[in-house]
Amino acid sequence: MNNEPQVLVIDDEPQIVRALKTILTQKGFRVSTAARGEEGLALAVVTPPDVVILDLGLPDMDGIEVCRHLREWTQVPIIVLSIRESEKMKVAALDAGADDYLTKPFGIDELLARVRVALRHLTQAQGSKEPIIGAGAIQIDLARHIVTLNGEEVRLTPTEYDLLAYLASNAGRVLTHRSILEHVWGWAEAENVEYLRVYMMQLRKKLEADPRHPTYLMTEPGVGYRFVTGD
Amino acid sequence: MTSLNFRLPADLRAYRPAISTRLVSHPIFAAMLVGVVSGVLLLVRDLVTTPIIALLYLLPVLLSTTLWGLSGGITASILSFLSFDYFFIPPHYALIVHKPQDVIVLLVFLIVASVISQLVGQVKSSLASIQAREAEVIHLYDLSQSLSGLWDRSRIARMLAGKISEVFGRVQIEVRLYMPSGAIVIREPDGNPSDDMPLTILPLASTRGALGEVRVWSMREMSDAEIRLLRAMVAQGAWALERAALIESETRVTILEESDRLKSALLSSVSHELRTPLVTIRAAAESLHNGAVNRNSPAADDLLDALEEESDRLNRVVADLLNMSRLEAGALTLLRQWNVLAEIADTSIAGMRRAAQDHKLEVDVSEDLPLVPVDHVLMQQVFNNLISNSLKYAPTGTAVKVSAKLTKDGSAVLLEVSNEGPHVPAEHLEHIFDKFHRVTDAERIPGTGLGLSICRGIIEAHGGRIWAENQPGGFAFKFTLPLRWEGSAAPKLPIDSEII
Repeated sequence: MNNEPQVLVIDDEPQIVRALKTILTQKGFRVSTAARGEEGLALAVVTPPDVVILDLGLPDMDGIEVCRHLREWTQVPIIVLSIRESEKMKVAALDAGADDYLTKPFGIDELLARVRVALRHLTQAQGSKEPIIGAGAIQIDLARHIVTLNGEEVRLTPTEYDLLAYLASNAGRVLTHRSILEHVWGWAEAENVEYLRVYMMQLRKKLEADPRHPTYLMTEPGVGYRFVTGD
Repeated sequence: MTSLNFRLPADLRAYRPAISTRLVSHPIFAAMLVGVVSGVLLLVRDLVTTPIIALLYLLPVLLSTTLWGLSGGITASILSFLSFDYFFIPPHYALIVHKPQDVIVLLVFLIVASVISQLVGQVKSSLASIQAREAEVIHLYDLSQSLSGLWDRSRIARMLAGKISEVFGRVQIEVRLYMPSGAIVIREPDGNPSDDMPLTILPLASTRGALGEVRVWSMREMSDAEIRLLRAMVAQGAWALERAALIESETRVTILEESDRLKSALLSSVSHELRTPLVTIRAAAESLHNGAVNRNSPAADDLLDALEEESDRLNRVVADLLNMSRLEAGALTLLRQWNVLAEIADTSIAGMRRAAQDHKLEVDVSEDLPLVPVDHVLMQQVFNNLISNSLKYAPTGTAVKVSAKLTKDGSAVLLEVSNEGPHVPAEHLEHIFDKFHRVTDAERIPGTGLGLSICRGIIEAHGGRIWAENQPGGFAFKFTLPLRWEGSAAPKLPIDSEII
């Protein structure tokens, strides 16, 4: 039994596939590749991967469709690759079940960080969740609903706490406006983003050393927010 | 014969030669006139001599010709001649002539009467045709005036149909234009013509073949004169249509030439911008690969840095091109949301830190400004382009400042990206947002010449305005962003303040 994590790369560009396969293998992953959506879905059944890296621009089927099909039977983390100019597509893929995204051209450090976050969330989903999340000077105790900064308790409003807790329990992972509004406010529409923006500003004022240069509560332009723990 | 200054009847019915009624009624009037004259002369027969009677009989001839034309004149001539002989040449009440001098009188009378009716009749009929021609010319002039300002083909067709209907009165008109996408059919008045009406079809002929056709359903068969006028009107319509087609193709040619010019400017700019980083990338990769540079030396790190930087630069060129082509194609859809301007500015600047390491980046965008209805990603692009433009021209070590404040009337936010770079000559200020407009020597400062025009495209799509200004000690880009979105201002947010 091999314990190295299995990565499935679904991309139709042979050069990108070649580079990803070389680098990921070097980093100790087992890599399987598919050039088409159908092929990728079939491969995911035969060799269940621990992480899927999926290009949104496939020749045979929409990458968003591939996400939906995978989500019908597996919670495997999906990282989508897209070009910068297609925020709408990224958001649609994330809302269809993808866990994170990378914008082409991406850096390898960035890719490896995303894969690590995805694998961590996978083990957390299988086992017990961490009750306390730490990010630098910030400690969030999800069980007791207590947030401390440098050991001192930070006083948050209920909405601020819900927002922070949702972001922190998905640390490292991008969360779309829609998904945050749905979880924290209970709204299915992604229209009232202004609430989210104003609360993020307040949270940054309470938690960030320099709220205007945040290091934990990061904005993902056009997509959503990401809580970065810095590890 | 001075009646040429007549008013044109509205439907030209007077112009129509109503031959059938004229042929019957006019000789009757002429005969009646001759009868009246004969009656009067009978009363005074004993008081006047034969030559006087002959002269007096010329009156009904002259009068009939003048009033009712040639047919009336000839009828009057013959009847006068017969009446003269019957009533006044001895033996009375018989068409017999005994005296040779009476024969001469009768013959002269007949000749004079005929000549008079001929002459007067000719003048009359040529007057009528002159009037008809004049009416024709006036209608055609009116039509050409109405068509002269039109260049849209369906409007030309509508105008033509309207004018034909104005001239011919109760007719049903259909103008059919052959277009590549199918025929355009204009009907005047609306509705279907009935099948039993006589139909005249005339082609809208041009030098490039038939552009369409005109169908006219009239109440009765059209006269030659009417068809001639109709033909002339249709020809005018065809000319107008041909002219419209020519203008259209000329405009297309101008647009094509302009876009050709821009395309070659794009190609030369882009190939230069693409090739320059490629030169570095190729050289760096090769020298690392073949061992020309020791892989563990500091030089190798320099080359690896260059590889990354130049790939980023390539990526920016491609992004500029994509954005530009989207703006051009009108395919830029704004993902507008109520945004915190400070957050957008902060995110942009965080991404520019590395590029701005030789300058000081200063931000003065308050979090307390009202929310702005903008597309976050595109606004970030504007900030990025304006800042990187400033970084290219401002001397190293100087500050690049981003600031925002409300306009005086409070309806918009005024943003400013200023630097301590050199002034831009006044004649270039207006044009620096044009595509490929480069103020300085393109060889010295890299750039596609697209960045600022992308900014203008994005700002204008948001309903704002962008311009540039020389300032004491520097140069500034300024732009406005409206605070209202689809008529409404930013929502007031109920923020909870209770602490858990």
